Amino acid sequence: MSVFYEKFERHAHGEGLKGHSTHYCPGCGHGLIHKYLAETIEDLGVQDRTIAVSPVGCAVFMYYYMDVGNTQAAHGRAPAVGIGHKVANPDAIVVSYQGDGDLASIGLAEIMQACNLGLPMTFVFVNNAIYGMTGGQMAPTTLMGQKTTTTPEGRTRLMGEPLKMAEILGQMDGPVYVERTALFDNKQRNRTRKAIKKALTLQVENKGLSFVEVLSECPTHLKLTTPEAERWVKEQMVPVFPLGVKKDTSAEAEAWFDPGTPAFGVDEVVDLIGGTDQKPERFASGFPTHIHDTDISIKFAGAGGDGAQTIAMLTTRTAINEGWDSTHIPSYGPESRGGTSYADVHIATDEVLSPASPNPHILVAFNPPSLEKFGPHVGSGGIIIYDSSVVPSPPKLDSGVKMIGVPCTEIANDLGKALVKNVVALGALQAATELFPEESFLATMRQALQDRCALLALNEEAFARGARAYREATKSNGS
Amino acid sequence: MASTKTRPKPFLFPEFCKACGRCISACPKDCIAMGSEINPATGFTPVELDLEVCNGCGLCLTACPEPYGLMPAPQQVDFELIDPQELLGDRLTSAPEPQPIPDERIGLPPLEPLILKGNHASAIGALLAGCRHFFGYPITPSTEGAELLARLLPQLDGIFVQAVSEVATVNMMYGCGGAGLRCMTFTSSPGFSLMLEGISYMIGAEIPGVFFNVMRGGPGLGNIGPEQGDIKLACRGLGHGNTHAIVLAPSTPQEMLDLTMDAFDLAFHYRNPVVLASDGYLGQMTGRVNLPNHMVRPGLPEWAVYGDENHRRNLHTSILLIEADLEAHNAHLNDKYDRMTREQQRADLFRCDDADWVLVACNTPARMARGAVQQLRDRGIKVGLFRPITLWPFPIDPLTPLLERVDGLIVVEAGAGQLEDELRLAASRAGLPLPPLHRIQHFGGVLPQQQEIVDAVTEKSGGAA
Repeated sequence: MSVFYEKFERHAHGEGLKGHSTHYCPGCGHGLIHKYLAETIEDLGVQDRTIAVSPVGCAVFMYYYMDVGNTQAAHGRAPAVGIGHKVANPDAIVVSYQGDGDLASIGLAEIMQACNLGLPMTFVFVNNAIYGMTGGQMAPTTLMGQKTTTTPEGRTRLMGEPLKMAEILGQMDGPVYVERTALFDNKQRNRTRKAIKKALTLQVENKGLSFVEVLSECPTHLKLTTPEAERWVKEQMVPVFPLGVKKDTSAEAEAWFDPGTPAFGVDEVVDLIGGTDQKPERFASGFPTHIHDTDISIKFAGAGGDGAQTIAMLTTRTAINEGWDSTHIPSYGPESRGGTSYADVHIATDEVLSPASPNPHILVAFNPPSLEKFGPHVGSGGIIIYDSSVVPSPPKLDSGVKMIGVPCTEIANDLGKALVKNVVALGALQAATELFPEESFLATMRQALQDRCALLALNEEAFARGARAYREATKSNGS
Repeated sequence: MASTKTRPKPFLFPEFCKACGRCISACPKDCIAMGSEINPATGFTPVELDLEVCNGCGLCLTACPEPYGLMPAPQQVDFELIDPQELLGDRLTSAPEPQPIPDERIGLPPLEPLILKGNHASAIGALLAGCRHFFGYPITPSTEGAELLARLLPQLDGIFVQAVSEVATVNMMYGCGGAGLRCMTFTSSPGFSLMLEGISYMIGAEIPGVFFNVMRGGPGLGNIGPEQGDIKLACRGLGHGNTHAIVLAPSTPQEMLDLTMDAFDLAFHYRNPVVLASDGYLGQMTGRVNLPNHMVRPGLPEWAVYGDENHRRNLHTSILLIEADLEAHNAHLNDKYDRMTREQQRADLFRCDDADWVLVACNTPARMARGAVQQLRDRGIKVGLFRPITLWPFPIDPLTPLLERVDGLIVVEAGAGQLEDELRLAASRAGLPLPPLHRIQHFGGVLPQQQEIVDAVTEKSGGAA
């Protein structure tokens, strides 16, 4: 009896007889199942490791009685709470104890996931075909024709058929053992004891998830005496909910759940998050004040897949490596491929204030819509680089804006890889704006491609061709 | 006959019999019958035992639903004369008083800044704060945080669980946080709505956990643009009942990391969930992030339900049936909320010292406002930015000196006045009159822009455009 509290202090402060008697009605099956659980926990020597999870239903107060770690859960959520406990401490023996409304109605999603996951846990499902705690309403397991306070004329097809959880869960891959038992005579009670013992043993052996559905009596809401309720379960419930083992693969199950002990070593954590004390090499002699004294804003725009985001990110990385503050914000259209995609970049001496670039100093546009949309917002003195292979006739913009057409797509195709057109544009951007030295961008690019060295030569070539194309374009324009 | 000597016969304190009669049919020897005398203490008519032919088979013991109902007769003589309380025990449990294992702060070597997306910065903050357990359900624009942890946590023997829903997520956190471990989730507005019920349970049961909400456009499915539409939920609507939690509002990738680390400390310090309210822009924003000088190896608090001897006597529950008990529990929570309000108000004041006009903004809109302040200052207009870092408790104390002095406040929000409501409520509760209050609001994923803030302040302050 030691797994029951010596005194039920949590039951109305243990006053009077409540200190040693349960809150359950006479004849209720919960007390029996509690007893078999307590016995088993004692027999297996796992009292200290056990956590009982008791969600809403009459057995929400299981923690009044069981001298184990106790967690009371929200209605239906005991399987999720139990998963939380089990992954927090794989040595914990987690018992989720749920009624029919809890498990088979409001908590269906949670029990399905838990059984699908199959962590070594134990589920005790008390099916008495009625809501006890709320006062005799229809349960998902209420029998057809059975009268309850919400089926005053008896359950009809319009209220669904009784849900057979043991059969449903027995079909799943997760559980290793699923059985339905009952309490209505000595033989059934003995089977229930054995089933609970087996279910907990499988968890103690770390073999898998077990589910025991117990057909239980609720004499109060069935409005029957206890012997009558026992007979009712035997004669009315059992034909609908056949007793027996629904699944048992425990013989071939092996111990498995061993996620290890979480690691807190400084070196492994620092290494994992990419922390380093290596200072990135710097190539610039100062902030590019020829563009703006303290805060430069750039916009990269194109169709999804044009690579605007990638070179925006490379620009931000280059700026931070050079010791400045920088931000990059991507903004995608409805699809990340094929929609419009633009990125705002800021580079600031001290701290980027507003990270948006509604009026950029520099615009890189890969297609006509981008140029039409953002071009007019580039201020006087600004620079626009556009893909002249895609935009043969650019719109007329403010005469103070320097428009540079670079055949990015053409050059990229010439290099045999259309995808590098963005790097061509970046090379042109560097040459046109001298935002940072060439070497500075190339260093960032090498860093980004360190795991894909094969692509490096192509990208460096694309970058160089972009710069060259800028020089050619400006020469032919005579500017 | 030997067996009758080794197997004890049943024994019953009549006051613990509820007269259900299960034992009567269980007994193969018909030793048990329904009694005829009503027990005055219970009103039941307990069964009567006639054990002459009892062979101690024990079937009646297995059939009795009461833990202290039919039990094997004690072996000692004259046990029937002993006070039942003495025989049954008079304390809850023999389990030990749990002892806490304190957290450990481990120094980190000086490291170069990282270049991180906001959501990633937060995930890394969680790792550095000692979080090794993540539960979540994918939702844009918060997924990058979860994805990074899905990749990194297993490498630290941590746990990543993709839950069946946000409802399951928060309840997994209830279990894992209840076990005394640091756990978190990333979510976005519709998902956060689903978690609120569970957060109420966590607050009721005093279970810590960190909820990172990357707020997006609403109501309903809305869109994935940045909005600040969940300030109301986080500050006023954490499920049913008397609930509050500290709500932190980062505004840079750096703060995404720093405040996530703080969130875990605060959650465990107060035994309460902590909400990080970010927005879609910040989640996606990449920037420079300095690493802290320490990380945390969490201990195990004394209140945990961990599944070991040390914590066996513990219980997490939010149900308190007796009204006086629940009132006392709420008074205790109120004390805790008061402490949070006294101890945790945080704000960033940017050029407020001599400001005539003060902008109030948080998250990304605060950055637009910051840019606007700089632009206006360059023109000689005296404007500052008051940026709440804690949205609850609202940092009314640092705002108070400004309220008495400034010409007006302009609340800049990507939302319909939820931040303004917090400001108004905090001032009202503090009994402070507000100066003229104006607002710049956008919705649906549209952010207030720097220029419109500049224009608005210029107009209000009568300054030159």
